[in-house]
Amino acid sequence: MSENISRRTFFKRSTAAGALGVLMATGLGKTAKAQDTNSTKNIGSVIDLTKCDGCQNEPIPLCVSACETDSKSHFPEPQKPLKPYWPQKFFEDWSEKRNIKNRLTPYNWTFVDKVTVEHNGQREEISVPRRCMHCDNPTCQKLCPFSAIDKKPSGAVSIDPDVCFGGAKCRDVCPWQIPQRQAGVGLYMKLAPDLAGGGVMFKCDMCSDLLAAGKQPACQTACPKGAIKFGPKVEIKKYAYERAKEVNGYVYGDKENGGTSTFYISKVPFEKIHQAIINDKKANKDDKPGRPGMPVGVENYLDSTNGLFLSALIAPIAGAAAAGFTAYRTLKGEKKDE
Amino acid sequence: MSNKGEKILRQSRSNRFVHWGAAVSIFLLIITGLGQLPLYKRYNVTNIPGAEWLGSFFTTLDLHYIGAAGLLFVVFYHLVYHLVRKEFDIMPRKGDMKESYFIIKAMLTKGKEPDSDKYLAEQRIAYLFIGVNVLLLVFSGLIKVIKNVPDVVLPSGVVFWATQIHNLATVLLIFGLVGHFAAFLIKENRKLIPGMFTGYVDKEYVKHRHSLWYARIKEEKETSKPAKINLSHSQKVVGH
Repeated sequence: MSENISRRTFFKRSTAAGALGVLMATGLGKTAKAQDTNSTKNIGSVIDLTKCDGCQNEPIPLCVSACETDSKSHFPEPQKPLKPYWPQKFFEDWSEKRNIKNRLTPYNWTFVDKVTVEHNGQREEISVPRRCMHCDNPTCQKLCPFSAIDKKPSGAVSIDPDVCFGGAKCRDVCPWQIPQRQAGVGLYMKLAPDLAGGGVMFKCDMCSDLLAAGKQPACQTACPKGAIKFGPKVEIKKYAYERAKEVNGYVYGDKENGGTSTFYISKVPFEKIHQAIINDKKANKDDKPGRPGMPVGVENYLDSTNGLFLSALIAPIAGAAAAGFTAYRTLKGEKKDE
Repeated sequence: MSNKGEKILRQSRSNRFVHWGAAVSIFLLIITGLGQLPLYKRYNVTNIPGAEWLGSFFTTLDLHYIGAAGLLFVVFYHLVYHLVRKEFDIMPRKGDMKESYFIIKAMLTKGKEPDSDKYLAEQRIAYLFIGVNVLLLVFSGLIKVIKNVPDVVLPSGVVFWATQIHNLATVLLIFGLVGHFAAFLIKENRKLIPGMFTGYVDKEYVKHRHSLWYARIKEEKETSKPAKINLSHSQKVVGH
């Protein structure tokens, strides 16, 4: 597969190379590396909307129930009574609503969205399994103020429930607002639960325990249609584009947020699916996170910080140079430093 | 008094630039850095008219980078400038803890303070405390900046500890700054304030509070040829 390097990719890589250069100089270079999304260790997944029917004959889609079975041991068991996030009057509690399976919650890390879209003069029922996209440069992981989120060598983005303070910043900076919060659990309960913190954020961790054991994530194993497939990302990506070509369709997730490890395939343009989700949410007066849209080409904020990154790296050199120059002149007596 | 109104240059233009450059960038960094915690929305700060922007993680992060570039410039300027000129007046000396105790005791009991050099012992300690925290913030901050570069993967342990150090040093720096401002609650210390604006302080003040420094300046003036090059520009007695 030929790879076209866009200007943006070139700039991204140059900046990454510059950053690694700095690390080499500081001795940290040995431990840092540029992300190799072509490594076979890097896991990607395909979600084929031409195959998924949302398990029409099942009360709950099988990927959703399998996810619950596998993740149950990680579900939060909050200490009650829960307290509002002072001075706010609310708190986020899903512990009594564990049976909600039509959106993302701390107790439901994947769900199948269902929308009707008109395409080529036909009304199509589309089922869209949703969960964390496991971004290549996850804004949640990079911007977590406590570094509670890890990007594993597999590419899985995983939240450490022992470090998470539940501020929900990860949800705010995620283009899909994926992580969901449960109050009454986590580190903040041991510190100042009345004043700070909000619980722990939960989301799909790509079944890291199963992957580590050489098995496939639960949603793939449970899917009766073969609509979900995990594998080496480089192969998955190739397959996704081939399959999209085959069905004369589209891929979602390759470019979004600067690249993710999830590739949706659809015959219907994702712009239409996105609009249908937004419209349906509006109609249902649902403005809460947990039912994300599919904004096409959504950008990664971190791509825009490259210029600022360079100025932060040049500043110490410029400061040292200015000092050397000024000190030299004053020592020589050319200039008085008053 | 014959020399009433005479002034002594205490803070060179370079020092004033470093002090105010650091002050402005640190102020911006604290405001925008707290904005990286989900704090302003939660505690209703964003409800204050004009403060809505504090609720945007991306706006505050952009400004945090700008503040960081400013502080990095100033910190490296400061270090190189004084290393080249071999000026270490503000570095803590042996016995400074004990001396600080005597100075504070004298201030409280209105007793006699020990003789001081250009900086009081507690000023030297305060400088070290703030300086070490700023350096911790600068280096952990640089790691955090590099971590944010797309496609760079740092080991999670390095990122985790850089974050914890950055957060802890922020708290300590805020304590340090509170101490810095609290120092001006004491009347005696307020005589130093003009030094950071105009560069000059009252000669009388120097004479009685920084007698060791005053003696050095006098000696240099008398020998006309300064003993140490670094003193020739930073200390000068002028008529007002």
